Amino acid sequence: MAELCWTPAADLARMIAEKEVSPVEVVRAHLDRVAALDGKLRAFITVCAEPALEAARAAEARVLAGDPLGPLHGVPYGPKDLYATKGIRTTGGSTILGDFVPEADATVVARLAAAGMIVLGKLNMHEFAYGPEGLNGHYGDVWNPWDAGTHRVAGGSSSGSGAAVAAGVCPAALGSDTGGSIRIPASLSGITGIKPTYGRVSRAGVLPLAWSMDHCGPMARTARDCALLLGAMAGYDPADASTSVLPVPDYAAALTGDVKGLRVGVLRAHFTDVAAPEVRQAVEAAAKALEQAGATLDEVNLDDVALVPAASFAIVAAEALAYHAPWLRTRSGDYQPDVRERLRAGVVVSAAHYLRAQALRARVRAAVDRALARRDVLLAPATPIAAPALGQQEARLGDGPSDVRSALIRFTRPFNFTGHPAVSLPCGFTPAGLPVGLQLVGRPFDEAMVLRAADAYQRLTDWHTRRPPVA
Amino acid sequence: MLPPMEITLDALRQVSRLAGFEWDDAELEALRPLVARSLDLLARLDAVDLGETEPTTQYRVL
Repeated sequence: MAELCWTPAADLARMIAEKEVSPVEVVRAHLDRVAALDGKLRAFITVCAEPALEAARAAEARVLAGDPLGPLHGVPYGPKDLYATKGIRTTGGSTILGDFVPEADATVVARLAAAGMIVLGKLNMHEFAYGPEGLNGHYGDVWNPWDAGTHRVAGGSSSGSGAAVAAGVCPAALGSDTGGSIRIPASLSGITGIKPTYGRVSRAGVLPLAWSMDHCGPMARTARDCALLLGAMAGYDPADASTSVLPVPDYAAALTGDVKGLRVGVLRAHFTDVAAPEVRQAVEAAAKALEQAGATLDEVNLDDVALVPAASFAIVAAEALAYHAPWLRTRSGDYQPDVRERLRAGVVVSAAHYLRAQALRARVRAAVDRALARRDVLLAPATPIAAPALGQQEARLGDGPSDVRSALIRFTRPFNFTGHPAVSLPCGFTPAGLPVGLQLVGRPFDEAMVLRAADAYQRLTDWHTRRPPVA
Repeated sequence: MLPPMEITLDALRQVSRLAGFEWDDAELEALRPLVARSLDLLARLDAVDLGETEPTTQYRVL
């Protein structure tokens, strides 16, 4: 039974469809694991044991009846607790929404249900997604499963998603990514997560942090599983005006395992060159592995990327304050302190700052497009450091000390700003046994290429199959 | 690079009131270090020569 919890979602779906295993067995195995591990991990805010088992029994009945099955029929997963789930409370990691029970599913939750997936529970997160550490003063700080002895952060804001997938508690999860909140926990927790192109996946029914920077995406242990989930989630949604009408390709079919001729640009200044030495070493080794498999490498720098922190701050602070202003006036004491302070700091952003930031966005976006004009993907670390200890304030990067929060979002946030698709996947471990994340960035709406490169790398290596000590 | 900008408690109180918030002195004082860092970031944004570049929002939606 325990091995079911380490079986990829794609294989679980196949095994269920071929009647090798019942969805009830699969869900029960994962619920047993939640019961065994979540006292330490704190990955869940709400566990949906009975509804999940009920859904599993219904899924089993459909298999036995020979009904047509969705591509992920009977496979459990966990949405981050900012995705609306009909009849299941959706807190945003806050007590302000502690009793909020939506009357309808978020679009992507409904689409994954149509693909056959079963909600195991709602996953922990940094309150209202406003923090890259994934801390939560209300529902507990998530424990990174890669260190049994020291409480290290799992990375945020989708910290519960990262820890749950890494520990084999969920085969897949949903995250959201405003400055790196899918890729940072994927990096720190040693799993795979993709932030699709802005407009590829609907945000309808998802609590916002910053409308123009928010992206929804899947997290799993393999690129193949991410491809399956993304295929089920993506596409135009009349409920989200920012979604694209471009057709959604068959992402799983794009996973050829072949990187011969793939043109990879290694991002140097601001990215790889300033990562901590053990991170840089692992990422450069990953680039070499791709080269040895037939990819061509060159080096590239992005104009104006050093200005992204300033511009992103202006945008996120203004948009987040606009959304939270009513609660900030009436319930400010209910926010955890770091989130309250960040929201309040938005009062100093003027309309002129916001528009200057949006102008800079056009320039940086053009710079990334130029870099990708002659390359298929860009490569960099996902985070410059491995998982910091809870409470650690400062990290040492290649260009000097940095506060941990700024360090964590430094390599991911540029692609929230520009909207390009980006994946993080494990590419090694530090001497202390902590995972290192590799980031691959692609052209707009070319998630297929990003996933193809990630999947090919995972066929060459076994980093994504390692199991953490807490599990 | 412009030097880091100082902000007084009174100035922060005025700014927050303009935005529709009423925070006491202790709350304003607690906010000052983060506001100072935020103003430093905004000063960097002010210093950029953006030429004729127009503001945009997100990716070209198709």
